[in-house]
Amino acid sequence: MKPLIISLGHRYRSDDGVGPLTLDLLRQRLRDRVDCLENPGDVTRLLAAWQGVERVYLIDALDGSAGERGDILELDGLRQVLPAGAASTSSHGLNLAEAIELSKMLGSPPQRLTIYGIVAANFSPGQTLDPAVEAAAHAVAERIMVAIDGGTGTAIETAASNQPGKETACTNTH
Amino acid sequence: MTSTRVIKVDYLARVEGEGALFVQYDDAGVHDVKLKIFEPPRFFEAFLRGRDYREAPDITARICGICPVAYQMSAIHAMENALGIEPTPELAALRRLLYCGEWIESHALHIFMLHAPDFLGYESAVAMARDHPGIVERGLELKKAGNAIVSLLGGREVHPINVRVGGFYRVPEARELQPLRQQLQRGRDAAIDTVRWVSTLPCPKFQRQQQHDYEFVALQHPDEYPMNRGRIVSTAGLDIAVWDYDVTFEEQHVQHTNALHSVIRQRGAYFVGPMARYNLNFDRLTALTRDMAADIGFPPFCRNPFQSIIVRSLEVLHAFDEALQLLDHYRKPDQPWTEETPAASTGYAATEAPRGLLYHRYSLDETGTITDAKIVPPTSQNQKTIEDDLRLMIPRYLSMAEEQLRSRCEQAIRNYDPCISCATHFLQLHLEKRS
Repeated sequence: MKPLIISLGHRYRSDDGVGPLTLDLLRQRLRDRVDCLENPGDVTRLLAAWQGVERVYLIDALDGSAGERGDILELDGLRQVLPAGAASTSSHGLNLAEAIELSKMLGSPPQRLTIYGIVAANFSPGQTLDPAVEAAAHAVAERIMVAIDGGTGTAIETAASNQPGKETACTNTH
Repeated sequence: MTSTRVIKVDYLARVEGEGALFVQYDDAGVHDVKLKIFEPPRFFEAFLRGRDYREAPDITARICGICPVAYQMSAIHAMENALGIEPTPELAALRRLLYCGEWIESHALHIFMLHAPDFLGYESAVAMARDHPGIVERGLELKKAGNAIVSLLGGREVHPINVRVGGFYRVPEARELQPLRQQLQRGRDAAIDTVRWVSTLPCPKFQRQQQHDYEFVALQHPDEYPMNRGRIVSTAGLDIAVWDYDVTFEEQHVQHTNALHSVIRQRGAYFVGPMARYNLNFDRLTALTRDMAADIGFPPFCRNPFQSIIVRSLEVLHAFDEALQLLDHYRKPDQPWTEETPAASTGYAATEAPRGLLYHRYSLDETGTITDAKIVPPTSQNQKTIEDDLRLMIPRYLSMAEEQLRSRCEQAIRNYDPCISCATHFLQLHLEKRS
């Protein structure tokens, strides 16, 4: 079964487009080896999209409370609690944390869900990403490439440590 | 002696998008209601200038992740109006089928995930799912059926890529549509169950006094429940062609919000959306939908905005029923699209987005380059009515505890399923009580 790569965020809202940019990078390089889903808003669609899927990678922008612009947070979406910056920025009815919880409650989560959150700052209309955020998109794409090619699903530090997309320890796990 | 109490909700959940609301009231009444929208979609209107007319459907679809079909349809019809194109009946039917898909997915999202928790006293759909998993699963099933229609006709679930000025890039063979049938039949059964279920929800009683009665505004067409075409009519006797929209309606700048308030000139606020469509077009619903309304004892005219959840459920049923009829009578169009020639012109269109009337106007130069664009989304048109509802509603609920009152205000806003993301960011609710 192909891995599913999901981007959240809006291409025309500046840094919020970091998810779609990462998806574009991966789509170019992995082509038909993966399934891709760009989701600009309605996260309830994710429940059906990832049901029965073995491996899901999801990329989203985080608001500034989660760290410094361009920081990358990598989370096990089924076991770790999302940072506040991911859980509260949704403007689309349900947020990602709720979608995951609902999915678990209804018995339909994917087998593995890795979330890459990239700290952003500017969500105003526009198509230009901050350089640090854009660099983080490339770093995350590289990390997912390695994870898929390596088949382990584990982040590779050399990719993660590529500056300026900086690695941030996830502290709010439980 | 007076003292001031403040109820503040930083983030109003379960609305599409972001904004802010400020309400100041005391025992004598409501003194101030401000629905603040920080960011109207003028970015898109400016963004469209200088672009080719054929790009408008795909660009405007990006205004909203919930109702992209509505933006595409209004853009396409406005361009066709500008260029003198009339879609063939077969293409018009396919567009209605696509629109049915969007109504189903948007309404199902709102009914089950955003609005129902209000009526049952849950803070979210997740909390509601703990006690009512079957209900939430039904909502997701309905939504999935809507997604399937949009995906099949539009090429993908979100921001469809298969629609174009003049028609579609590709039209399906009849056999390609048949796999939808079983899913839509199941969906129609689930929609019937949904109508019955929402009719049992405890619903706040609210009806405006006659002097404050709503003016409902919707499209009306002699042959069909309104989606893509018709005249703009109202319960106060308005009856105009779409190209007279700018003559009849006016956008006003209001200091507390960046979004323009839409009003009817010399009259004021009006109400668009499912209740307006229903009240003005009840006899154009499918027979099954009208029978279901009768079956639950729901009248053909509704003035209580809290019952909008029932109207939405009836529109979901209508959309499934009509979608199945469209499948039954599908004839593949001879040509996927009608060719057009650019010309210096101006085109107008209004279609019925899930949340209500969506007006587009474009001017083109002789090469087809857009020189001017105007987009009026339904939430902008309902802004003033939402404020008026709160102004009229709160005095009736002053005996409520503050927390309960705040929840009631949020529920009242959600009656309109505001798609503030079409125009803004998040909604913050700020209630200030002076007593």
